[in-house]
Amino acid sequence: MKEKTAEEIVLEIKDKSELMVDLAYSSILYDNKTIAKEVYDLENAVDSLYQILQKKSLEDVQNGKHSINDALTFLRIAHAGEQIADAAQEIADVELRDVELHPILKMSIREADVVFTKVEVKPQSILCGKTLGELKLASETGMMVIAMRHKDKWLYGPNKNTKIDPDDILFAKGPEDGEKHLIDLAAATSNEI
Amino acid sequence: MKEKKRRSIFGRLQRTPKWKKEEFTELEYEPTSVKELLTEMKDISELIIDLAYSAVLFDSDDIAEEVKYLDVRMDKLNYDIRMMAMMAARTKEDAEQLAGILQVAEAAESISNAAGDIANLLSLKEKTRPILPKILKQADESLFRVKVSSKSKACNQKIGGLKVESETGMRIIAIRRGDCWIYNPRSGTNLKADDWLIVRGTDDGYIDLNKFLKGQLKVLE
Repeated sequence: MKEKTAEEIVLEIKDKSELMVDLAYSSILYDNKTIAKEVYDLENAVDSLYQILQKKSLEDVQNGKHSINDALTFLRIAHAGEQIADAAQEIADVELRDVELHPILKMSIREADVVFTKVEVKPQSILCGKTLGELKLASETGMMVIAMRHKDKWLYGPNKNTKIDPDDILFAKGPEDGEKHLIDLAAATSNEI
Repeated sequence: MKEKKRRSIFGRLQRTPKWKKEEFTELEYEPTSVKELLTEMKDISELIIDLAYSAVLFDSDDIAEEVKYLDVRMDKLNYDIRMMAMMAARTKEDAEQLAGILQVAEAAESISNAAGDIANLLSLKEKTRPILPKILKQADESLFRVKVSSKSKACNQKIGGLKVESETGMRIIAIRRGDCWIYNPRSGTNLKADDWLIVRGTDDGYIDLNKFLKGQLKVLE
């Protein structure tokens, strides 16, 4: 496998940390410990990425591939990403505790600008058998799928090559008017994307 | 050179930045519901990350200033929510549940601090600016800047009426109108000709939105 460049690692930390915030909030909204645990796993992944980046950027400076300032910028931006990841973990931690969640927590997340939603894909839905890229779900409905459950398996941060199968459960975020569209599509009450 | 720089700073009427004003306002106890506070904190924690990366990507000191303002605002909200939570606790069970709320609030505040750090990269003396856009442009969901053409059907229309987000997946996070900025516009906000929008979403969505705002597409579908 080709070694990742410092730029790629920084980007991966950025994408992962943003996904973690979404997952952390939705774990509370759906009172879902599996998602919360995934946030923990992602936090470990981000930590190790950050360590790889630290080493990598020092090496790059030594080899003259990057200037000291560039390397510092990478590290600073990744550090912020790492802090965001830590914060997401703190949120997930609330879900994992054996204390019943305060109803206000769910209400606040539900009422925010961006809503999270959970839909089950019916076998007769037109979403079945297509990839997220083919469906252009994000750009057509405004809902971005952040996680999905396929039987017992979970997939976090799916990409455009991810296929939707019947009975998959999608967790998505987006605007309120996009939510209804997605629910209709998944329930096969609408076939228009 | 130094003398010139000094003159440009001193003896001139200066505008106090919004974040500084917020920082020096006295913290006063205002009874607000915990739910309202937490909802605002959650919204800010998501918006502020996008704004911080946009500030860096588009090399915009204005957006960086808004990030600072939101960061300071978040401190105040966090203070208020602590007060409210303490007043609401009557029993051990209350306290246990409220501790969870405070932990989420604290996390939202940490996120805004991290975003503040990102925006601060702009004010560093070292020449780090050019490399940042290069990295950030490759992200999955990217930030873009688009201009509303006077030929577009979007002019003088409400964002909610156009259904920009549900039709294209592009979320408008800020609008620049002349010298003014509108951050986190609501569905009732009108778009005007020559507005610059900062939007977040996929490449596909950007292509559609760009055509629509240029007037090449009549409707968003």
